[in-house]
Amino acid sequence: MEEGRKMKLFTSLAMAALLSGAMPVMAQQQTITWWDFFAGGDGARMKALIQQFNDENPDIKVNATTLEWGTPFYTKVRTSAAVGQGPDVMTYHLSRLPMGLKEGILTPITDADLQIAGLAKDDFYTPALEAAKGPDSTLYAVPFDIHSTVLFYNKNLLKGTPFLDAEGNLTGIDSLEKFEAALAAAKANGSTAPISYATGDDGGVYRVFYTLLAQQGGELISADGQVLPGDSADKAVRAVEIMTKWAENGWQPEQALYEASVALFTSGKSAFFFNGAWEVPTMVDLSAKNELGFEWGVAEIPTLLEKHTNWADSHGWAVPIQGKAEMAPEKREAVMKLIGWMEKHSLDWAAAGHIPAYKPVATSPEFAAMKPNSNYAGLADRATYDPRSPVAGVASPTYDAAVNIIAPAIHGYMPATDAVDQLRAELEKAMK
Amino acid sequence: MAMIRNQRRHRLVAYSLILPFVAIFSLVFAYPIVEVIRLSFTNATLIGGGEWVGLQNYRELLSDKLFYTSLKNNGYFVLLTVVPTTAIALGIALMVQRLSGRLQALALALFFLPYILPVSVVTQIWAWMLDFQFGVLQPVLELIAGKPIPVFKNPHWVMPMVALVTIWWTNGFNVLLLLAGLRNIPQDLYEASALDGANRRQQFARITWPLLWPVVALVLTLQLILQLKLFDQVYLLSEGGPFNSSYVLLLMVYREAFQQNNGGYAAAISLVVFLLIVTVSVLQYQLLRIRGRK
Repeated sequence: MEEGRKMKLFTSLAMAALLSGAMPVMAQQQTITWWDFFAGGDGARMKALIQQFNDENPDIKVNATTLEWGTPFYTKVRTSAAVGQGPDVMTYHLSRLPMGLKEGILTPITDADLQIAGLAKDDFYTPALEAAKGPDSTLYAVPFDIHSTVLFYNKNLLKGTPFLDAEGNLTGIDSLEKFEAALAAAKANGSTAPISYATGDDGGVYRVFYTLLAQQGGELISADGQVLPGDSADKAVRAVEIMTKWAENGWQPEQALYEASVALFTSGKSAFFFNGAWEVPTMVDLSAKNELGFEWGVAEIPTLLEKHTNWADSHGWAVPIQGKAEMAPEKREAVMKLIGWMEKHSLDWAAAGHIPAYKPVATSPEFAAMKPNSNYAGLADRATYDPRSPVAGVASPTYDAAVNIIAPAIHGYMPATDAVDQLRAELEKAMK
Repeated sequence: MAMIRNQRRHRLVAYSLILPFVAIFSLVFAYPIVEVIRLSFTNATLIGGGEWVGLQNYRELLSDKLFYTSLKNNGYFVLLTVVPTTAIALGIALMVQRLSGRLQALALALFFLPYILPVSVVTQIWAWMLDFQFGVLQPVLELIAGKPIPVFKNPHWVMPMVALVTIWWTNGFNVLLLLAGLRNIPQDLYEASALDGANRRQQFARITWPLLWPVVALVLTLQLILQLKLFDQVYLLSEGGPFNSSYVLLLMVYREAFQQNNGGYAAAISLVVFLLIVTVSVLQYQLLRIRGRK
C-alpha cells in the first residue's frame, strides 16, 4: 500500500515535471470531459461555443466528444457513468430526465452549484425548470434551451386567402375549422400537400399527436403513472382522428420520412410545415441564397383545440455520477463555471432556432431583434413537456409507439379507437 | 514406474496443448453463458448485479403478449426464407454448374457479391429502391398492386419484403455450398445412367437429389439458425412496426436491454431464443437425416 502510494506520488511528480516543462503557464488547469449529441448545424454552433470558451478560459480545458443521438447516446452514458468512465458534463434531453433518475446516474444540482455558475432558479422559464427537476423537486439538470414545434408557412400559397394580414403574416387561425379551411384554400391554390410533417417517422407523428392531445388538456401519462387517465383516451382518439382526416383529405403527405417532409415544404409543395424550430436556420439560409422560391414565415402553433400550448423539450446540462467515486470539488466548480458561461452565451445557440431557457438572454433586446426566432418565443411559458415517466422522452417507447401504432393508424390501417387501445397497452407494458 | 511417469507426461503435454483453447473458450463463451443464465434470474440493469428474483422474468415473459407476437413473426419469417432461399439457391447452383470456365466464375461472383456487403449497406440500398416517394421499384409495385406501396410501413408487406431483402443478401453463400455438393457427385454416375437411357429428370431425381441431400439438409439447418436470429434488417428497415407486425425476439432483447435498461429480463428472453434455436435446429437436422436415410 505504502509502496503503491509512493510509486503513484513519484509518477505524478514525474508527470508534473514533464508537463510543466512542456506547458509552463497552465499550472492549475482543469480538464473537463464533455459529451454531446449535436450534429449538423447544431454541432457546428456548439463547437464554436466550446472553442470560444476554451479561448477565454485558459484555466479550464474542455475536451468535447460528439456521440450518436438517441438510444446509442443514452446507453453509453448510463453504462459508462455507472462504472466511472463517463463524462464530467453532458447534454441531456430534459424529457429523458425521469429515465436518468431511474438509472441513478444524475447528480443533484445544488444551490451552491448554481451560485458558482452565477445562475439562479428564477433565471429560467418555469416549464423548463420544472422539467429539470425530479419528483422530489430537486434540480438534476440546468436547462439550456427550449426547442419546440412551430408552424412554418408559405406566403405565396396563402395569397388571396383571408389567412394573411396586410404585412403578409399568418392571421386568423384560432380553431381547427379555420386551420382546415386554410388547408383547403392552399390546396385550391395548388399546394399538393398543404400540411407537411414527418407522417412516417416517430418524431414527426409523436409531436403532432402530443400537441393535439395537450391542446385538449389530455394527459398521455399522469404523474402517478397512469396511461391516458380519465377522458384522455377519448382525447387521444380525437387527436388520431384529426390526423387521419388530414390524410384522407390529401392534406398531409403519405408516409413522409423526415427529409421528405422538409423537402415538401422547401420545394413549395406545402403551405404549412409542422416541425421543430431547429429547421429555422434551413429556411433562413435557403432564403438568403434565393433558393427557396417563395416568401416564408414562421409562427407559434396556433390554438387548434381548447388550450394554447404545444409540445416542447429542452436540452440541458447534467453532471453524471463518476461510478463509486466523487468528482473533485475543483473539477465540479469548473464544470459549473462552464455551464454558467454557456447559459450567458446562449444567444449564439438561439441562432439555431432554439429559445434560450435562460431568461436574461431570452428577454434581452438582442434576442428580441433576432428574427424570426423571437416571433415564437412566447411559447416558452406555455409549452407542454413530455410526460414525467421513464418510458417517455426522445428515443423512448412513446416515440416507438408513435411510429409503430399511430403512424400506420393515421394512414388508415387501423381505426383510431383500436390504435389508442394498443398505444395504452404498449405503454403500460413498458412501464412494468 | 517409467510407464506411469511417461503417461503422466503425455497427459501434461495434452493438457498444455488444449489449454489455450479451453482458456479462450471459457473466457469468451462459457463464462458469458453462465452469466446470462445467472442474469436471467435477477432484476439486474445493464450495469450491476441486481437482486435474485427467481423465475419472475420467465413468468413475465410467458404472459407477455409481445413475446408471442415476436415468436409468431419469427416463425413467419422462417417460413418465408428458409425453404425458398434453399430452393432458389439450388436452382441457381444447377444453372451455374452448367456453365464452364470463366463464365462460371463470373456468374458465381455475381451471385455471391451481395453476401459480402454489410447489412447496413444492403438495407440502405433496398430502402432507397423501395422508397415510397422516390424509389425506382415503386413503378413495379404499382404494376402489381395498382398503386405505390410504402412496403416497410404496411403490415402485410413488411415481412415478405424483409424476407426478399434477406434472400437477396444471403443467397450467394447457399449457392456456393450447393455447388460444392454438386461437384462432389461423381460424373460416371451420370454417364452410366445416360447409357441406360435415363433422361435429365430421372437423373436429377435418382442421382443428383439423393446424393445432394446431405448438403441440402445442411443448408436448411444453417438457414434456420440464421433466420431465427433475425434482427439487423428489421431494426434498420421497419423498427418492428407497423403494429408490431415485424417485431422479432432479438428486437425485444435489444429494446429491453439497451433502451429500457432491463438487463435481467433481456437475458431471460435471449436465453429462451438460444434454447429455441438449439431445439429447433437439432430437431430439424435429425428429421432431415432420417428422411435422407430412407
